Amino acid sequence: MSQPQNPAAWGTPSRAIIARLRGVHKSYGPVRVLDLPELDLYAGQVVGVVGENGAGKSTLMGTLAGSVTRDGGEIEIDGKPLAAGSTQAAQELGVALVSQEFPLVGQLSVAENLLLGRRPRVSKRRVLIDRKAQRAEAAAMLEEIGVSSREVQVTRQVRTLPVPARQLIEIAKGWGREPKLLILDEPTSSLGPVEAALVLGLARRLADQGGTVLFIGHRLDEVAEVSDRIIVLRNGKLVADLDRSEVTEDRLIREMVGSEIAHSEPKAADPNSPVLLTLRGLTAAGLGPVDLEVRAGEILGIAGLMGSGRSRLVHTVAGAQPSTGGTMELAGEPYAPRNMGSGAAAGIALIPEDRKEQSLVLFAPIKDNVTVGILRRISSHGLLGPRRRRQEGQRIAESVHVRMQSVDQPIGSLSGGNQQRAIFGRAFASDPRLLLLDEPTRGVDVGAKAEIYELIDRAAAQGTAVLAASSELEELLWICNRIAVMNHGRVVEVLDRSEATKERIMTAAAGTADSAAVTNGAAT
Amino acid sequence: MSFQPAFQQGGPQPPDAAEAAPRGRSRLGRLLIETPEAGVVTVCVLIFILISVNAPTFHSVGNLQVVGRDLGQKGILAVGESLVILTGGIDLSVGALAGFAGIIAAWFNVSHGMPAPLAILLTIVLCGVIGFWHGTIVTRLNVPPFVITLVTYTVTIGAALAITSGTPISGTDPLFQDLSAYYVGQIPVPALIFVAAVVLAWFVLERTYVGRQIYAVGGNKEAARLAAIPVRRRITSVYVASSVLAGIVGILTVGRESGTADPSVGTSGWELVAIAAAVVGGVSLFGGEGRIVGIAAGAILLEIISNGLLALHVNQFDLQMVQGGVLGVAILLDSWRARYVGRDRT
Repeated sequence: MSQPQNPAAWGTPSRAIIARLRGVHKSYGPVRVLDLPELDLYAGQVVGVVGENGAGKSTLMGTLAGSVTRDGGEIEIDGKPLAAGSTQAAQELGVALVSQEFPLVGQLSVAENLLLGRRPRVSKRRVLIDRKAQRAEAAAMLEEIGVSSREVQVTRQVRTLPVPARQLIEIAKGWGREPKLLILDEPTSSLGPVEAALVLGLARRLADQGGTVLFIGHRLDEVAEVSDRIIVLRNGKLVADLDRSEVTEDRLIREMVGSEIAHSEPKAADPNSPVLLTLRGLTAAGLGPVDLEVRAGEILGIAGLMGSGRSRLVHTVAGAQPSTGGTMELAGEPYAPRNMGSGAAAGIALIPEDRKEQSLVLFAPIKDNVTVGILRRISSHGLLGPRRRRQEGQRIAESVHVRMQSVDQPIGSLSGGNQQRAIFGRAFASDPRLLLLDEPTRGVDVGAKAEIYELIDRAAAQGTAVLAASSELEELLWICNRIAVMNHGRVVEVLDRSEATKERIMTAAAGTADSAAVTNGAAT
Repeated sequence: MSFQPAFQQGGPQPPDAAEAAPRGRSRLGRLLIETPEAGVVTVCVLIFILISVNAPTFHSVGNLQVVGRDLGQKGILAVGESLVILTGGIDLSVGALAGFAGIIAAWFNVSHGMPAPLAILLTIVLCGVIGFWHGTIVTRLNVPPFVITLVTYTVTIGAALAITSGTPISGTDPLFQDLSAYYVGQIPVPALIFVAAVVLAWFVLERTYVGRQIYAVGGNKEAARLAAIPVRRRITSVYVASSVLAGIVGILTVGRESGTADPSVGTSGWELVAIAAAVVGGVSLFGGEGRIVGIAAGAILLEIISNGLLALHVNQFDLQMVQGGVLGVAILLDSWRARYVGRDRT
């Protein structure tokens, strides 16, 4: 299946090899997770890397960046041998990794994070910190990747920033090292379309300057768009090495999973089904006023750029964030949640955006993670024995087909897709009338995504109303009956599935605040 | 739902490989490595045997009764302390609060002529209120638990001195002494109270939904909140439990000192022993991890070490140094173990 490498066919300006890998392999226990007899990365190229979770993408990046110690094989960066398992050695040779993990210090400011471990290049002071210079250089670093200091203020504490902003900081950090080989690990998975476009532009820019970019992505259209060459990993092996001209999304998916995914169009929602959720002039910090209706059995998508209020809307309905005005109705009854408890009592389940931070106790067993929202319900008179916990955990995990060895294993040992399925199982276990989703497939690979979509369909088919906020337009177009587009905290357009296109959504999402207010027809 | 076989396999995933890590070891070895409690319990038994062999007086009934009564002090504190640590907090006030509780109960009884049962009840309620105060400040104002319980530590030590002017209060009701000096069979009452506290804590943590929610809160506060768990109430409740247990210890202490309430009790550093017992017992200071069996074993271990060293006639000036050394070794062993199994904890 692997094709011979033919650099000439890519029409690269320079054929210099930036990274040369020979016989690189790595095993965890008995499982060989990476096995690459031969791989060369050429200067001036963006190389896309795709593969399912566990295919070896992260291991490949890790071996190059030094965070994973390879078991054997040689790596040369620009002709110089790279010692195994040293991030410092990798950095010195010009390898920069932008990971999904955001190794940022939350308590420090954006500027301090960007210049972590070094002083400003132009510093007036020798011993003390020249904060002015630090701020200026940090702002310049952000400016360099196209982020204005108004969007991300360098004096802000990093922990107060939303996830997408942290991702941009992380990218600016990697970019600032002036790398020869820049490794981007799903850099756009937490970004909205505009920021994603910015990152893709950066990858292109570095390649045009003669560097090499290794671009790991989940969104295949994006990878296909930005890459000169795409390599596909499956079970730790390179199964396809494609020139951009031979790439189609279907082909990539086929190579990744070794089979085809069944397509299914979302059915139109029954227009006669009762309205379950009604929002009238709902406001909260950074949100609204919002008017919206969701019917039972309907999947309503929420699109919008970073900071448009997608998450805030979902959180306000759930009761996780206080509303400041307007009214909500659930199945005709007034609904005013004081906290998540009242939301849950009213039959609302929320699947938040960040699995690790907001959903799971990673070191705790699967059974405890999937039962955490329904502990009270599965107890009898407040008592809850270990057998019952295990049984319920097993039942829930199996209801959503979590692939595991046992419900006693820590949930952190599962792949991202499996973790997400377990979270869905937990939400379903409370029999919600309204299911709120925030980035339902973030950090989940293609195959697992299709399965998550089936779970969402299943909920809707059983009459649950679904409100799904997502930064991935394809996803929304794929699963939703209607899509509400948000801009500056307001819903500026609601599109039926038949009329929704990427372009229309983007236009509405990227409009200015003034036009948003006009379209919304709401004053102030 | 039916997925194609290719999906079902999902490819090899590194964590699954780590799951199968300790191969080719005996069952016992694996048990020791994978469950923190097993380690503490084993060490507990080993040290007990070791000291018994070298110092025959150690396992005499009389000495074991001393050990039991000691557990009725530091052991009970360790249980309460562990509950707080499980939620990711810390309670520095337990030792000082125990001292204060002893003084206040004796003061009610002796200086105000309050009947002993009422004085004891009132003291425990007062401690509960102090715990509620801790919980409220921690959950509503986001004051770090370290700080607010340090305030209580200082104030209660001061209050004990202020009330007594530094002189012990003697002449308390015989009930105080009875509580500490009575035996059921051969077992001293304080030891039974320790056992009761352990059993109760075990029951709540392992057999009620509230207990599981406490673990969830300690493991990931935000996830617990979004899962509609009343996070503030759970946190507040553990501070109340910790303070109430401290109050009980205070009252037992008065009886132990022949019915005299000594204002210096609060400064004996018991809170540190309690924290050490929790950590040795496998409780993570970050919260969400640790079980009551380990905590109890941790408390017993520390107790038999300090008592055993006396029985071994270790020079009393060297005593603390040796104690600290043993503690250090125990913690090193545990972190080695954690590193061994910690690979699948990413």
